[in-house]
Amino acid sequence: MSHFRKALRKVTKLRRHEHHPILHHVHRRYGISRKTIFYMKEYGPHSHVAHVIVRESIKVLIMASIISSIGGISLQLMEDKLLAIIPLLILIPAMNNMVGDFGCIVSSKFTTMLYMGKVGGRWWKSRHLHRLFLIILMSSFIMSVFIGVAASVIGYWSGFFPTFDTFLKVLAIAVLSNLILVGVIFSVSIIGGLAIYHRKEDPNNFLIPITTSVADLLNLVIFAILVGVFF
Amino acid sequence: MSFRKDFDEIVTAEMASTTGGLAAGTLLAFITNQIELIPALLIFLPGFLEMRGNISGSLSARLSSALFLGAARPRVKKNRILKGNVIAAMLLVLVVSVILGAVAFFANWVFFGIYDYRIIAIALIAGILSNIVEVPVAVLTTFWLFRHGHDPNNIMGPYVTTTGDISSIISVFIAIVII
Repeated sequence: MSHFRKALRKVTKLRRHEHHPILHHVHRRYGISRKTIFYMKEYGPHSHVAHVIVRESIKVLIMASIISSIGGISLQLMEDKLLAIIPLLILIPAMNNMVGDFGCIVSSKFTTMLYMGKVGGRWWKSRHLHRLFLIILMSSFIMSVFIGVAASVIGYWSGFFPTFDTFLKVLAIAVLSNLILVGVIFSVSIIGGLAIYHRKEDPNNFLIPITTSVADLLNLVIFAILVGVFF
Repeated sequence: MSFRKDFDEIVTAEMASTTGGLAAGTLLAFITNQIELIPALLIFLPGFLEMRGNISGSLSARLSSALFLGAARPRVKKNRILKGNVIAAMLLVLVVSVILGAVAFFANWVFFGIYDYRIIAIALIAGILSNIVEVPVAVLTTFWLFRHGHDPNNIMGPYVTTTGDISSIISVFIAIVII
């Protein structure tokens, strides 16, 4: 046990970005995941947690927030159609929330999978990842139907009386855009997560802002395209 | 964790989240008149909501990773990783809010020819107000979920974006009233 503690102390004293052979030694000898050792090196006793987080997060957060502001401008461009068809207006915040939520879930779960060694080099063969994709796809479909119906019902209460045709179109927009965005979220999370992880940084600090901002922006673009196609 | 448990947790959290999203949209619709008085708010608001969700979401995700790896315990006192995370979240919100306010100010000036720097002050005040509510909510809920055997990763994403949207819109409204 004292050997183990001594080895861990050595690992935590390593400078960041330095990939010391002792990491592999500790992994082999004590059976601790390399990812766990890497995490301890990132946020271990000799690191300044707040400094690491701020330094790694600040740029991507600013970028993500500015991208969303651009999304706000594009939303303004479709103002006329949105004001004419109230359920579409009601749909937007809920859809944006949902897409952001799935981005958060997929990114954080994928990062935890990486740290726990559940996703290796051949990520496409990971049964954990397959399972996550299936769960998100099913959840997304159910929730899209829910918000499509809810937006029409709230719209009806607000004084907008949609025809059955309009109701189906609103539903189709909700379902189609969400299913497309699930694919986008997974692609961004996997590609981005692996790239960041291989650069020996914590994907938690980057992946959620990147995934949600890309998904939010594309959500508005896909939404605008589908509104243009259906109405 | 089982497929069924993960699925149930995600769908339940999403139900709450999208309902919250609908509520946030309704709330926003009610204060549209006030928002229209300051045109730059429409440029600022999506970025502000995004920032709130990102910072709280990352905070919860980092804490979840630390909890699962055993690097931190689900308690508030004597928790070095939590302390660092909270300080970082506070700093990030302040810095990014001011930058977003500045971006909205310049966009307003360039595109609409309106020179109104109040948006920067509104951004800063709204950032501070939303932080006071959102950071404790994110931390305490993550710990509570972990202690009760749930995976915070499944629930916290939807949870913080919903509470973040509502608290952000209310914070912006209060900031407008203060300014």
